[in-house]
Amino acid sequence: MPESPITLIELRSVCHEYAAGSPENELVLSDVNLTVAERDVVVLLGPSGCGKSTLVRIMAGLIQPTRGEVMYRGIPLHGVSPGVAMVFQNFALFPWLTVRQNVLLPVGRLPAEEQEARLGKVLATVGLGAYEQAYPRELSGGMKQRVGIARALIAEPEVLCMDEPFSALDVLTAETLRNEIGRLLASPEHPLRTMVMVTHNIVEAVYFATRIVVMAAQPGRVDVVVPVDLPYPRDPDAPGFRAIVEKLHAILTRTNLPDAGEVTKVVTTEAGGTRRRIAPVSLPYVTPGEVLGLLSLLGDAEYDVFEIAERLGKEFGAIIRVVKASELLGFIETPGQEVRLTALGRELVAASTEAQREIIRGRLMQLKIFELLVRLIRVQPEHCLPDEELLRELHTALPHEKPRPLFRTLLSWGRYAGLISHDQRRHVIKLYQHEDPPPPA
Amino acid sequence: MSMTATLSRPERERPAIWFEALVVLGVAALLLGGVEVVAQWRQPLHQTVEIDLSARALPVYALFSLARGWIAYFFSLLFTLVVASWAFYDVRARRYILPALDVLQSVPVLGFLPGLVLALVALFPHSNTGLELSCVIMIFTGQVWNMAFSYYDSLCGVPGDYRMLGRLYGFKWWHRFLKIELPFGAQGLLYNSMVSMAGGWFFLSITEAFKLGDQDFRVPGIGSYMSVAIERGDVRAQLLGVLAMGVVILVVDRLVWWPLVVWSRKFKMDDFGSGRIDQPGWQRWLARSRAMQAATHRIGLWLAPLAAVPGPPPASVPVAATAAESSGRTARGIYYLVLAGLVGSMVWGAVELASLLMRVNLADWLDILSNTGLSFLRVLAAVGLGTLWTVPLGVWIGLNPKLSSRLQPFIQFVASFPAPMIYPWILLLVLKTGGSLQWGSVPLIMMGTQWYILFNVAAAASAIPNDIVSCAEVLRLSGWRRWRKFLLPAVFPGLVTGWITAAGGAWNATIVSEYVQIGDKLYQATGLGAYISRATNDGNFPRLAAAVLVMALVVVGINRSLWKRLQVFANERCRFLT
Repeated sequence: MPESPITLIELRSVCHEYAAGSPENELVLSDVNLTVAERDVVVLLGPSGCGKSTLVRIMAGLIQPTRGEVMYRGIPLHGVSPGVAMVFQNFALFPWLTVRQNVLLPVGRLPAEEQEARLGKVLATVGLGAYEQAYPRELSGGMKQRVGIARALIAEPEVLCMDEPFSALDVLTAETLRNEIGRLLASPEHPLRTMVMVTHNIVEAVYFATRIVVMAAQPGRVDVVVPVDLPYPRDPDAPGFRAIVEKLHAILTRTNLPDAGEVTKVVTTEAGGTRRRIAPVSLPYVTPGEVLGLLSLLGDAEYDVFEIAERLGKEFGAIIRVVKASELLGFIETPGQEVRLTALGRELVAASTEAQREIIRGRLMQLKIFELLVRLIRVQPEHCLPDEELLRELHTALPHEKPRPLFRTLLSWGRYAGLISHDQRRHVIKLYQHEDPPPPA
Repeated sequence: MSMTATLSRPERERPAIWFEALVVLGVAALLLGGVEVVAQWRQPLHQTVEIDLSARALPVYALFSLARGWIAYFFSLLFTLVVASWAFYDVRARRYILPALDVLQSVPVLGFLPGLVLALVALFPHSNTGLELSCVIMIFTGQVWNMAFSYYDSLCGVPGDYRMLGRLYGFKWWHRFLKIELPFGAQGLLYNSMVSMAGGWFFLSITEAFKLGDQDFRVPGIGSYMSVAIERGDVRAQLLGVLAMGVVILVVDRLVWWPLVVWSRKFKMDDFGSGRIDQPGWQRWLARSRAMQAATHRIGLWLAPLAAVPGPPPASVPVAATAAESSGRTARGIYYLVLAGLVGSMVWGAVELASLLMRVNLADWLDILSNTGLSFLRVLAAVGLGTLWTVPLGVWIGLNPKLSSRLQPFIQFVASFPAPMIYPWILLLVLKTGGSLQWGSVPLIMMGTQWYILFNVAAAASAIPNDIVSCAEVLRLSGWRRWRKFLLPAVFPGLVTGWITAAGGAWNATIVSEYVQIGDKLYQATGLGAYISRATNDGNFPRLAAAVLVMALVVVGINRSLWKRLQVFANERCRFLT
């Protein structure tokens, strides 16, 4: 390869906040540096909430980052990027236009013959020839996404951005479409060689990428970049392929599921010189039902985290959250990628519903964050803690967490364990008390 | 910020003592107001009440107008719940009720006026009750129809599972109504109640002061205050009247609708907690006020037995079954009696109408038709011009959530202000610029109707999925292409809904817009609305009946032939995929 490839997209220390400046602001992306060169296939991989969709929209120029620079071909980008096309998770087709009209949208200003020529070629590529006059409503999910892809390809973009293009499809349809894109990448004469794709599927990432950008959450940031040097088309069963998948498993476990000691490690901060304040550890945003479900699924066996995700057909990020919560409460242990029940976990699975609440209540009270919650309620007049007060406290105590999901999580666990009750009408939280029936006269 | 600092923050939720006093005072004021209204109704009949144009008189007038509006609303609600439920549960009756409502909806307020007033005044010859009642019923006819349609729609939308549940637990009809149907209909009913209240205010100046032949009728209220102020050319009084109307609208919105809107969100069928409920501070206080809590507790205890749900029905109840059978027989008897009464009165009405129409000669009919043509052009122009500016603005508002939350209260206020109150000002402006009412009535019509388009377009634009907006940006759709391929189709379903409401309202508005009296000068345009107004003023009932009938037929005809089809098309083609 004689010439070095041209850099198309370059991000320099990009940070992005939602609701910047307001007290509810939230850091979505922190200091991201990334380049996409010609013939790169960059895959952004990470659990949900790590800002990967935001990142791809920043690259396309749809979102202006709060700080940092976005360059396209060395020129600072303002507004939508000139060379980018995009495929959306939920297709984003215009329901009032036929397949033909949808696909022709980006090339409306070209001469008619040119439009026809491109349309024929693109429709043949994605296998939509017979559907030209159909409306999107009449198509299946897979066919809709083919229209989305055709619409992106017809503009002959320099960079094709895809935001979880297969997530809204069923497993089999997604597999077919994935193979077809893979074939496109493999054919040497096809112009499409530069892609940015967002996914939470590890195999999918290895299948397409020349570089995998592994992202971590809270705040969203680039963790590691893993180069993939396999020739197209790739075979998921080849040893080289498997090796990279294993490597990604290890990385994702390390960033998302640190060893037990690290998770429960108390973060201490210096406050006012001598006094030390202990910052509570957040509870992952999962419900008691999910944790109990995972525990009963485990039984006596020992599973790999990714195996569980695959078996349940769920995003691994979601599984990892459940695993983390279960581990935090002491119901499971995770040596490396493995997951198995602890003695307490076994006891919990075997217990009656009432006893389960009892055990969970005991474990919750050992968490700093619930200690804080109960203390906050107790100091309120009449022991009524207004919602906003708790939200403010959470924001101060855990600035990196999203206050609202955390609030909901605390509420669902606290209510499940019979610790607290919530008055929806007055927006206050109280300690839960059984309402005793009136004594017989 | 350290944690101890926030913990020791003083409690700020319990309202101050003055707030408690305010609550008690408010209740007292309400009671006194009621006494005042009853006194006015029981006074000896006074056809043309003297209106006091001083500012001191205004609060009482506002009270009278408000009382009429709310009494009319109460009847509207009652009518809605009864008739919509009837139409829903009685398949045979439905076939007649729905078209009847559709036609009644398009009969302008003035169409009901003469018959009502003369009949009711004759019924209560010695007190104001008859006149007041006819005024209330006219407001009622401006409020009720869309509420009835909305509640009927929500009855149709109750999922079968919930009805099944009601059957399983042996719900009586009032349980089904309180626990299932009303909660499902609450949000739609509430939204339509707000629109209805605004619709009721719209004709306030007509319903409170009108002429019937040589008889002049006037009841005390803001509307009559305004019309007297305009008649005498008293600018200060006009300004005061507009101000008072504004205050009334604001107060009703803040004290009644807004709390109800907040409360009704608990009936939303999607998962809770998705959005924050932004309760205004004073309302939180009200909820915490001791006086209020005590009162609501009392009411709750009192209502509890009514709302208590019976257990599942016992396995076998032969005695109850026969009882139910015999009570069913009486119920059926009553049902047929009511039906016969309704059919009888309809036949009588048709005969009366026919005898009136017999006296209209061919020349009159031709006159009415040509007038209809002109009014049609005005309605078209008003809707078209309204569309031209409200669509871009609506799209802009809808796509900017921040902007829309800031502009919403303002636009809502402007939309619910009864435009006819300030018609003279606008007309004077038109005349100053050398126009005449022939053209000038178009902006007058627009003032009352364009808001429906704006609201519906803004709502449709804010419902465009985010990805579609992003996609249009990536595709670099711009200029006219952006409108044609993206924005117009995206808001089209909302636009059609807006058009239907606006056009219906525009026909009604021609009555006040083509015939405007300022001081002792009368301005008329050639059109169906002016024709109806004139016929009312002259007490020429045959002509009035003919013109009203034509207007109703035209509105229903256009609805059926054009709007319904457009609506079907829009819903088939332009709804977003889910």
